[in-house]
Amino acid sequence: MIALLLDTVTTAAILFAVCAGLLLVFGVMKIINFAHGAFLTVGGYSALAVTQLGLNPWWSLAFAFVIGGLCGMLVERLVVRPLYARPLDAILATWGLGIIIGQIITLVFGRDVKFVESPLSGTVGLLGTTYSQYRLAVVAIAVALAGAMAWALNGTRLGLLTRAVIMNENLAKGLGINSTLVRFFSFSIGAAVAGLAGALITPLSSVDPNMGVPWLINAFMLAMVSGMSLISLAAACLVLGGLQVVVSTYGNPILGGLTIVLVAALVLRIRPQGFARE
Amino acid sequence: MKISKPVRGLMASALMLGAAQSMAADPIRIGVPVGLSGANSVVAPSVVQSSQLAVDEINAKGGILGRKVELEVADDGSGAAGAQKAFDSLIFQKKVNVLISMETSAARNAGLPIVSRGKVPFIYTSFYEGRSCNPYLYVNAWVPDQQVAPIVDYFMKQKAKSFFLVGSDYAFGRGMLDFTKKYIQSKGGKVVGEEYLPMDGTDWTAVISKLKAAKPDALITSTAGGAPNVTLTKQLRAAGVTIPYGNLAVDEGTAKAMGGDAEGIFISGSYLTNIDSPKNKEFLAAMQKKFGNDLKTPNDLSVPQYEGVYAYKAAVEKAGSTDADKVIKALAEVAVEGPRGTIKMNKQRHAPLTMYLGQVQKDGSVKILETFKDVDPGAQCPNLK
Repeated sequence: MIALLLDTVTTAAILFAVCAGLLLVFGVMKIINFAHGAFLTVGGYSALAVTQLGLNPWWSLAFAFVIGGLCGMLVERLVVRPLYARPLDAILATWGLGIIIGQIITLVFGRDVKFVESPLSGTVGLLGTTYSQYRLAVVAIAVALAGAMAWALNGTRLGLLTRAVIMNENLAKGLGINSTLVRFFSFSIGAAVAGLAGALITPLSSVDPNMGVPWLINAFMLAMVSGMSLISLAAACLVLGGLQVVVSTYGNPILGGLTIVLVAALVLRIRPQGFARE
Repeated sequence: MKISKPVRGLMASALMLGAAQSMAADPIRIGVPVGLSGANSVVAPSVVQSSQLAVDEINAKGGILGRKVELEVADDGSGAAGAQKAFDSLIFQKKVNVLISMETSAARNAGLPIVSRGKVPFIYTSFYEGRSCNPYLYVNAWVPDQQVAPIVDYFMKQKAKSFFLVGSDYAFGRGMLDFTKKYIQSKGGKVVGEEYLPMDGTDWTAVISKLKAAKPDALITSTAGGAPNVTLTKQLRAAGVTIPYGNLAVDEGTAKAMGGDAEGIFISGSYLTNIDSPKNKEFLAAMQKKFGNDLKTPNDLSVPQYEGVYAYKAAVEKAGSTDADKVIKALAEVAVEGPRGTIKMNKQRHAPLTMYLGQVQKDGSVKILETFKDVDPGAQCPNLK
């Protein structure tokens, strides 16, 4: 029972980290960034670079955040911004972009699986059971990430402008808010958080040119049911992640892999606003 | 310049002679459909390299029956659709004399009907789930009957009674573990859990929790190569799983690259680089010399490929021609001395193989714990002679 609880919480934390960047971009720009999986991969390879430089593996988180952010800036300026007026084309463009990034990584690093040093290994005794130290650390990091994002949105000037754009972009523009700038920062920070998440999952995952892809669909469904808020995202991750763990544990893991997608579709059918309050 | 008539005649006949000679020395073409793209792309380059070495060595010693040997490599995309194209073009356009290749099961199954139509011998050099039978097919790599026993027997000798099985949800993963389960039960052991994750699954959390709850004595896994193998091993180690861990799908190179996480893993195969035989040392040195820094570590897929080329050479020499039916008959009768020892594909188109049980050491090297001489492949194709 304790193991189930820990599995649920840690799974939710991983999902939250993976999905947070996507949600931010979706909230501000109203487009699903299908290059999100590729940004996760970029984060994974940033962690690889840190390992190859021989630095302390904790640096990989900061490094991946910066590299992911730089990629996001470039992509927003060159690909997404010219397609503002055509959101569907922008979504298609991000998909193609995801493939291109994957191929560039293949060209530079090769197709084979790489290995990244884990910052923490081994287990720790907790509530009468032993549990992976790293997974517990991920929970702390995800909580810190949520706190930082909440502060950025609610405690800063840029956050205020961002929230204005999320609520009503035309009105915000009418008030003189530079929504282009807000979009630029949101996309870049979204990509930076994706990079961070990519580095965060490397100790649990392999690093290969497609490492981000399996995460994309779950992240997409979670963003769909979460509306625009971080709190509803956290709730969605706990509920759906928990269901995934329960189905995998008591049913079988193949069904478990479908749980998030299926339940999210059901939730949207019954309650179109999903986990959001209104 | 003016050339007198007799000289012209002489030149013409010399030309004709040259043409006749080149016809007699029409090269023997070996088709290698292999997964240069897709899932097999990690291992395919090593297979192409070992084929090249075999062909170079044979040509340096005068070829086969005095004919030069040429390699035709085609990408099968690691799957059925690509394999159909690759087999079609190799057999009907390039008119190869033989196919020798390591492929996925999907690619092999898609190619076999084309092989039957084209009537060319096909030497399959990849380990697989077993029981693929075709009049033109020979296999010189291992099947579950040969690979599983060493690991299970070893664990049972170490007093393991209950086993937990984990795999990827596809033909090879399920096939291997089905066999493993039956084998464990036939030896009086117990399987306390059997779990699968889709091939692209990355989250083994629930599987590992179930594993810990079942408290088995030993773990045996058969995932898809590459990413799933790595994610499972990492998450197992992070969760503190320390029971004996046999991995049916990890190759030596991946195990080495995994570093500390791979330490202690048991692997079983017909080839490990540190097999202590003169033939193997000779082979490794030749590979090193030919490819230098570009060398892909020889492995349990590339070495059978190397030996497959030599098996074909031996069969053609025994048959005295490249005629498919004669070569097919001869393939069961010839023995090849290679890095893995003496290989003879005389058991229902499959080969008894010497199997090695190894354990990954702290420094990433694989220590051979036990050697099982000439393990029989069992009844693979009872309906074929």
